This record gives sequence, structure tokens and C-alpha cells, in this order.
Amino acid sequence: MGIFLKEINLKGKTALITGATKGLGRGIAIAIAQAGGNIIAVGRNQKELSSLEKIIKKLKVKYISINCDVNDYKKMKLFISGLKNLDILVNNAGTNIPEPFLNVKKSSLETILNVNTKAVFNIAQLCANHIIKLKKKTGSIINISSIFGLVAGQERTVYSMTKFGVEGLTKGMALDLAKYNIRVNSVCPNIVLTPRTRKYFANKDYNKYVKENTPMNKVVTISDVATAVTFLASEAASMITGTSIPIDGGWTAR
Amino acid sequence: MLKKINLKNKTALITGAGKGLGKACAIALAEAGAKVILISRTKSDLNKVSKIIKKTIGSSQSFVCDVTDSNSFKEILKKIHRLDILVNNAGNNRPEHFTKVKRENMEYLTNLNMKAAFNIAQLCSQKMVKFKNRKKIGGSIIHMSSQLGKVGCEGRNVYNMNKFGVEGLARGMACELAKYNIRVNTVCPTFVETPMVKKFFKNKNFKNKMLANIPLGRVAKESDVATAVAFLAADTSEMITGTSLIVDGGWTAQ
Repeated sequence: MGIFLKEINLKGKTALITGATKGLGRGIAIAIAQAGGNIIAVGRNQKELSSLEKIIKKLKVKYISINCDVNDYKKMKLFISGLKNLDILVNNAGTNIPEPFLNVKKSSLETILNVNTKAVFNIAQLCANHIIKLKKKTGSIINISSIFGLVAGQERTVYSMTKFGVEGLTKGMALDLAKYNIRVNSVCPNIVLTPRTRKYFANKDYNKYVKENTPMNKVVTISDVATAVTFLASEAASMITGTSIPIDGGWTAR
Repeated sequence: MLKKINLKNKTALITGAGKGLGKACAIALAEAGAKVILISRTKSDLNKVSKIIKKTIGSSQSFVCDVTDSNSFKEILKKIHRLDILVNNAGNNRPEHFTKVKRENMEYLTNLNMKAAFNIAQLCSQKMVKFKNRKKIGGSIIHMSSQLGKVGCEGRNVYNMNKFGVEGLARGMACELAKYNIRVNTVCPTFVETPMVKKFFKNKNFKNKMLANIPLGRVAKESDVATAVAFLAADTSEMITGTSLIVDGGWTAQ
């Protein structure tokens, strides 16, 4: 701890991360562990939860995991209410099915709304209640939003609807949870290069579209996002609540 | 995965570095390893800050200069070999009801908060882009804005006008300087425990009214803001440009 520079340090803190097996969620779990935080991983792939365990345990922090779909409210409730420790939630699990507005299938709408909106709300509520029950003096919740929570994008009407919703939820939660000193923020990344987005980037036109809309002319890395999330999770951000950090190389500045 | 706030081998210039937020930012950046160049109108203040830096971290350079005097600032820049980071912090406020704002106060505040902010940013950017490795090592400019660069507040109309302007400037600069790998962002604090705010808070009525607007129920510490500035100055925020980091305990979320 310096005079004016606060450290990004999560020693002794416990963070629950949803969608922790792949891509962003996995990177965030590793970054939080590198800052000293214990990890509770939620994912749907036992093999990947186990491979993550090996990485996290090497960092000498505690690791527990649950193989569970975030849509499974009952199972998540039982799990969260039984946790001995919880200080941080990274509400990361999300999905996208790009379709032109006129052709959005009813099933796509259902799927995206369930994961990006309803599950995000439910998990946040369950975790907030549990952090309060554990009588923690501080807490931090980070919702993984998107630039499409701030502006629109082609064939992303449902995604934008859900992510704009997450932005609203973030601000509302920040107000309701401030008295418990639980901070709530979102991060809004540009399209991050992950296993899931790799197939989008393979398309030449899409690649061009992303580059042309990013003044910094670079693709956002998992590490860029994971670092911002870890910063928000820590006491280095102790007066930051109800806001979003765009990590977009200038996309939304234009 | 987790990037650290590390400013080794970077040189940062901080305006208004004699007291308050500027002083805190200067010390925080020095703590993160940067060589710091302090600018203030008051020699005795500069001496105090450089003494703190010398005692705890290392050496610094300081120059007495009124930032509204572009010519003398230009001369200072000639004496500096290198510049990677600018904290465009010098600013002031003279609260008055809109109908009662004195012309001289509007002139004074606008010259300082906008015109000087623009000129200093332009002069420093010109210096930064000339450095031949700029594209590789990057650069970062942080404007000290305010929550009042985001929302209105009674008696703060000129300050509102100035800080909303700075928000616009930051976005425009971000678009234009991205190709040099120079990022431009703002930090928007709520009321901070500084000498300037302590003066306003002598009015208990005002203090209580303002505190009631901060959901976290406390004013920000100088270290909260200085840490946010350091986060934006370092590669921890490599893909963050053209945005604001709001450090307001939830003020603008409402």
C-alpha cells in the first residue's frame, strides 16, 4: 500500500465467476487468482472446470467449482447459499446468436434473454443476499456487459437489448446495495478474441468491420478485460460504483 | 493474465501538482515507477511535493508555471526530453447561481478549465507524437474531469460547461491520437477530500446535501482518484480510450 497508489490486491477475498470454463470467464478467474483471490468457478463442462482447477491451484489460492447451468435457479440457489465465503461476483456467463432483426427466431430470443438477462439478475440477487448474510464489510459485483450495452451493432438487436438491460441493472443494483458497501459496476468490452468469437473473426468482412470501428486498430485481449475486472473487484476501486468501464479501443467514443 | 500498474521507464507530467488531486496523482504515478514532472504556480507547494517524493520514492522535476500561460509552458516542454503521460489536472471552481455568475469568474474558469486544458493537451500531444517509438510504447493522457462533467448541479453551471467540454475534448482527442497509440481518457470524481472541497464543505448544509447524493455515503479519498489515474496511465488499460472512469460512489448512477 503506497501513499496514494492503491494496490490491486484480492488476498483473502473469494470470487464467484460464472461462465468460468472458457474465454473471458477463464481469464478473469486466473487474473483474480493472480491477485490473490480464491476462486469459485461456475461452468457447464466438468473437464474444463478440472483443467482450470490445476491452473488456479498452482497460484496457491483455494478453488471450488460447480458444474451447473446458470439458468438452473434451484441448483444455483442451493450452491450459493451454502458458500462459507463470498466477497466478489463476476457475472460473466452470456451468449449471443447474431441474426437480423426481421429474422430473429423466437427460440433465439428466449435463449439470449434467459442467459444474459434473467440468469444475470438471479445470480446477482442470490450472491448479493449471501454477501450481506455473511456480514461482509465490502463487496464488489462486476457484470460483464459489452460495447453493445452502450451502442447498437449489426444483427445484435437482442444482444443489445439484453446488454443495455445489464447496464440499467448495474446502476439500479449500485444504488440498492451501496448501504451495504457492495459496489456494482460493469465492463463493456469491444469484441474480444476468444474461442467463441474466433469464428466471427474468421469472416473477412467481420474482421474489417471490427478494425474499422476501433480507432486503436487492435483487438481487445482477454487480459485487457480481466485486468479491468480485477481492478473493479479490488479496494483500488473502492469509490467506483454504478458505472461501466468501456474497454473498446475507442469504439464508443465516436 | 493480470497486468500490473507499472510505470517504470515512463515520464509523466502533472499540472496543478502543488496540492490536492494533482499532488496525489504525482505521488501515485511516482509510486508506480514513473519519472514525474510537476507543474504548479506555487514554488513552495512544488518543494513540498518533491520532498515527499524524494523521501519515499525518488527524484522528480518541477517547474513553476501558470498553465494559462502557453508560451512559458512551451519553454518548459523544450527542457524535457521525453513525455509519455500527461495528467491534465489544473483546474478550479467558483460556485455561483447562474443568474449571478460574474463575467470575470466565467472568463477565469473557462480560460483555466477549458482553454488551458486544451492548450496543454495539444502542446504535450505534439511532443508525444514526435517520439519515434511512440507507436510501440504508447502514451496516455488523462484529463481531470468531474462527476459534473456528466450531470448538472446547482451553482455549478460554469464548471458544468467546462467539464462537459473536457469530456468532449477527450473523445475527440482519443479518435485522433489512436493512430499514435496514445490513449485519452478522463477521470470523473465526486467530491474529494481536498483543500478546495474542504473550503466548500465548511458550509454544513451544503456538505450534508452533497453527501446525501453519494450512495456510498462518503466522499472520495485522494488515493481513490490517484489510483484511477494510475490505472489509466499504465498498460493495465491498454485498450481503454475515449471514455471516463467515474469515481463517484454512485452519484451519477441515479
